[in-house]
Amino acid sequence: MSSIEHYFSTDWSALTGQDWAGLIITVLVFVGMLITFSLALRPSKRKELEEQKHKILEDD
Amino acid sequence: MDTTAQPQYDNGVVKYLTVGAIVFLVIGTFFGTFAASQLAWPALNFDIAEITFARLRVMHTNTVIFAFGGMTLMATAFYTVQRTNGVKLWSNSMAWWTAILFTIGLLLTVVSISLGMTTGKEYHEQEWPLAIAIAVVWTMYTFNFVMTIAIRNKETHSHVYVSNWFFLGMMIAITYLYVVNGLAIPVSLFRSYSMFAGVQDAMIQWWWGHNAVGFFLTAGFLAIMYYFVPKQAQRPIYSYRLSVIHFWALMFGYVWLGAHHLQYTALPDWTGSLGAVISLAMIIPSWGGALNGMLTLSGAWDRLRTDYILRFLIISLAFYAMSTFEGPVMAAKTVNALSHYTDWTVGHVHSGALGWVAMVSIGALYHMVMKLWKTEMYSMQLINFHFWLATIGTVFYIVAMWVSGIMQGLMWRAYDEYGTLAYTFAESVAAMHPYYAMRAFGGLLFFSGAVVMLYNVVMTIRMANARASKPVEATA
Ligand code: HEM
Repeated sequence: MSSIEHYFSTDWSALTGQDWAGLIITVLVFVGMLITFSLALRPSKRKELEEQKHKILEDD
Repeated sequence: MDTTAQPQYDNGVVKYLTVGAIVFLVIGTFFGTFAASQLAWPALNFDIAEITFARLRVMHTNTVIFAFGGMTLMATAFYTVQRTNGVKLWSNSMAWWTAILFTIGLLLTVVSISLGMTTGKEYHEQEWPLAIAIAVVWTMYTFNFVMTIAIRNKETHSHVYVSNWFFLGMMIAITYLYVVNGLAIPVSLFRSYSMFAGVQDAMIQWWWGHNAVGFFLTAGFLAIMYYFVPKQAQRPIYSYRLSVIHFWALMFGYVWLGAHHLQYTALPDWTGSLGAVISLAMIIPSWGGALNGMLTLSGAWDRLRTDYILRFLIISLAFYAMSTFEGPVMAAKTVNALSHYTDWTVGHVHSGALGWVAMVSIGALYHMVMKLWKTEMYSMQLINFHFWLATIGTVFYIVAMWVSGIMQGLMWRAYDEYGTLAYTFAESVAAMHPYYAMRAFGGLLFFSGAVVMLYNVVMTIRMANARASKPVEATA
């Protein structure tokens, strides 16, 4: 095994319930982040979102 | 525009919290300057237990973070939620109760710490009865904020402006972090023991500790930035979409950073690595957010020459960018091996605390004073004077701590040719003296600026009140 392979190798059978919980939460958070970023950056949303920034200039 | 259609806002409680925040800024920076002076000249503790460094330091952190920072967050949240949603507070009386109980809770916290009552958990020193009371008050604050958004007119205000998201993210995160970290078994009215022990205790403590920075001192103050920078600059924020990305990146990312406070400890090595990696990743959204605020001024940079309040707001973003670069660098294990336990950390904290948190707050507080009392400031020149006192004071502070911190780190790890330590610990303490004196001087400048601000604000309010009472006298 090369040192890189060794570094990234995982003994899956040794993972405890807590390890799995942590792993699943990490992956879910990552996916959640990707979804929110793509929702915010959708070109079709651009106008609708950017319009919101003007309102506060007239609130008082 | 039809001004009669404008709703009246609940301003009384915001006025109280605004003045309260400034008073606590003066008290908190006085404690800080006093603590800094004790480190330079230890005789200044006068052998009085209640003001020895160990207690004074915690009185300082609680006053600046929770009393000054907390009151600023309450004032600005109650101010902005009404304006961005076009409604009065859901409950004005609940807001008043929140403000008064919060003040009493924090005064009792400071007194109890000076009497030596503490849980020993950093940023969570209150013993259990006070901690429960503060958690209840915080929940009242959050509930009132959420309900105010809920009762908005959804036709005219269908979208909730992004500053509210930052406030709400901060409120929710702080509630669960504070409660979980505070779980303890009371053994008497003024003594309790944490439910956690060993590495779990350390991990939970820094999960809370770093998020006190990430949510309380960052997300909350970003809410302030996203409202007050555009308002003061009279220009919309540079990119609304970037603010949305900034928000979600912070919400998803910050909770993972705590372990970077525990490198090279009994914690599993991977937790520290994860903390360091996510810390480095946080540079991107943090800089995106800082640029978003600064670029709001693009095309109108000349305003900085004349608008001193805007100067506070914009320099705060420069410090925000600087400390969100420095922090991730310090989280990396190699750098952390040098910087941890040294004054470099204290310098880093204050480039964020003075440069970012205090400056953005000061800008917002001045803005609100003028709006709430419908007046110009008593003296714009004094704001300019305050700006320079605060900026030069901050620079003195952080430069002194950079030098002393790096020097400490290098002295502690220096070996001679026989493999023994080159310096004793006492030698490293003695070497710090000039830098501690320099930090105390920087602190004195910053504290003087806070006093100037209080004077200017008090005179402004007196001027506004005198003007408001004139027509009444005339008609009487
Ligand atoms: C006049 C201004 C200030 C001075 C002179 C000052 C001074 C100090 C001193 C001497 C310490 C103890 C350092 C040590 O243990 O070696 C400290 C800690 C701390 N201060 Fe300040 N401070 C000031 C303003 C502020 C403000 C405005 C904030 C926050 C908004 C703040 C947040 C903190 C925090 C979080 C710590 C703990 C740092 C750590 O644990 O590493 N300070 N300060």
